[in-house]
Amino acid sequence: MTVSAIEFTRLGAPKLHLFAMKCDKCKELSPWWERSHCYKCGHDTLTEFELAGKGEITNYTVVYYPPREFLGQEPYVVGHILMDEGVTLPAPVMGVAPDAVEVGTRVAATLRRMKLGHEGDIYYSYKFVVDDDPAPKKAAPARRAAAKKPAAKKPAAKKPAPRRPAARKK
Amino acid sequence: MSMRVGVLGIGKTPHKIQHEKSLKDLGVEAGRKAMADAGVDPSEIQMLYVGNVGSVGFNYENSTALMAAHHLGVVPAGAVRVEAACGTGAWALHLGCVAIASGLYDTVMVLGMEKMNDLATVEGTSIIAQAADSKEEYFSGLTFPSGTALTARKYMQAYGVSEEDLAHTSVKNHFYGARNPSAHLRFECTVEEVMNSPKVADPLKLYEVCPMTDAASALVLCREEILRAQPNRPQVYVTATSMASGTWYQASDTLDDAYNLFHRPATRAYEMAGVTAKDIDVAEIYNSFAIQEPLGIEGLGFAKMGQGWKGAKDGSTWLDGKIAVNPSGGLLCKGHPLGATGATQAVDIVEQLRGTAPEGMQRADAEIGISACRGGPGSVGAIHIYQRLEG
Ligand SMILES: [Zn+2]
Repeated sequence: MTVSAIEFTRLGAPKLHLFAMKCDKCKELSPWWERSHCYKCGHDTLTEFELAGKGEITNYTVVYYPPREFLGQEPYVVGHILMDEGVTLPAPVMGVAPDAVEVGTRVAATLRRMKLGHEGDIYYSYKFVVDDDPAPKKAAPARRAAAKKPAAKKPAAKKPAPRRPAARKK
Repeated sequence: MSMRVGVLGIGKTPHKIQHEKSLKDLGVEAGRKAMADAGVDPSEIQMLYVGNVGSVGFNYENSTALMAAHHLGVVPAGAVRVEAACGTGAWALHLGCVAIASGLYDTVMVLGMEKMNDLATVEGTSIIAQAADSKEEYFSGLTFPSGTALTARKYMQAYGVSEEDLAHTSVKNHFYGARNPSAHLRFECTVEEVMNSPKVADPLKLYEVCPMTDAASALVLCREEILRAQPNRPQVYVTATSMASGTWYQASDTLDDAYNLFHRPATRAYEMAGVTAKDIDVAEIYNSFAIQEPLGIEGLGFAKMGQGWKGAKDGSTWLDGKIAVNPSGGLLCKGHPLGATGATQAVDIVEQLRGTAPEGMQRADAEIGISACRGGPGSVGAIHIYQRLEG
């Protein structure tokens, strides 16, 4: 889990700016780390696809024994979040007691401190908090609808985040 | 193709925390035992395949195959270290089998070794997490236990299985682990005790998680003719070796993927050995977390998808059941010395086929065995079949 500060400037973008990768051929969405080929059809060209930042918990675990960089946060909840656009991302869920997590809970992305690096530096990334807004109409394709509405709860710092990480150290 | 690779000798160290021994000490101990058992001199070893995952992190040393070659006295035999996450030891065995089956070598050694307890658990957890995409997916705070916990919940959701149902797997493993003098954890437990053991990564509890262990295991392999020429030795052969890769991400690892991780290489292995799942007497199935045992049972074709957990409850995967699964206590009790595990599974199955497994662990008249090792979020599947084939 150790990431150097230099490496983070290279790998940081998806942690500060929420997107998925969309297959140019079959349009399947994959998590942002699938940049080389589409997991569904194998096509090798994918394009970044902005996510609105909302979804629901489909699976979760509670981490009681964290790696060093997460020490002090335990026990913490990590969920599989099915984004409204149809891609699943693993991420911490904040503000829910470990014994009160429920599959189906609506959540929204927010930018938070993720962990302390081994050089004492602070890493930020997306986490999720419980979302009080109602779910988008189930059957309707949530994709466009969700994208139109500006995500109110996102912290100002990250909404128009550039593709390149803003967190580059001086 | 069919394949017969003779198992000339086996050796293993105790599996436990061994502060008084180094990685080198463990490798030498297991390697020497295997050579003594095989009745070969170090000079007869023509190639050394070492499975070792994390020495750079756990022990601050690299090139551990060369270290082992020197200290085992097999110089100038070639020596190389192989790494494929928790499938590492099985991969070393695969390379050893390929080396013999190719006809290039007469006698080789396979050595799996890992020394995990020089560091605190929290550091070890970080090192183990490097067997997944620790920079990206596991940046979310996931660890191997919690990643596998997600799989466990997926399994419970998909098949309507309860935590109590799954707890029987730990009960079975601990029943045999208590009888295994080489095991790290040697105590029996009940379903209630499993359920009440502390949470590690919900829904996984302590008794469903393997300990970090220091150990090494070794095998001396040879051409069939060499073993045939020594009819007084147990005639145990590796008759199939089959490797596969799978997904590198927990988030996209479906239950189908988990099934296929073993199903695909197992199908090839059964074909290679000319046997079927029904013929298997005894199996060592990777279970660093209890949920992986039912998944493995299904992937190997011993039960339908969603049914693999039942055998531990109804007895059919106990020692005298339809098939004995993990009569060693599995990784849950032996511990999981990453690079050694695949080799330990092999040694344990060979003991079964030789009829020399410890009391209370021996499957009666075991003739055909299988070992299934896996690693990463769902990234490596490794199958070996072993048979006792008298003249
Ligand atoms: Zn595609």
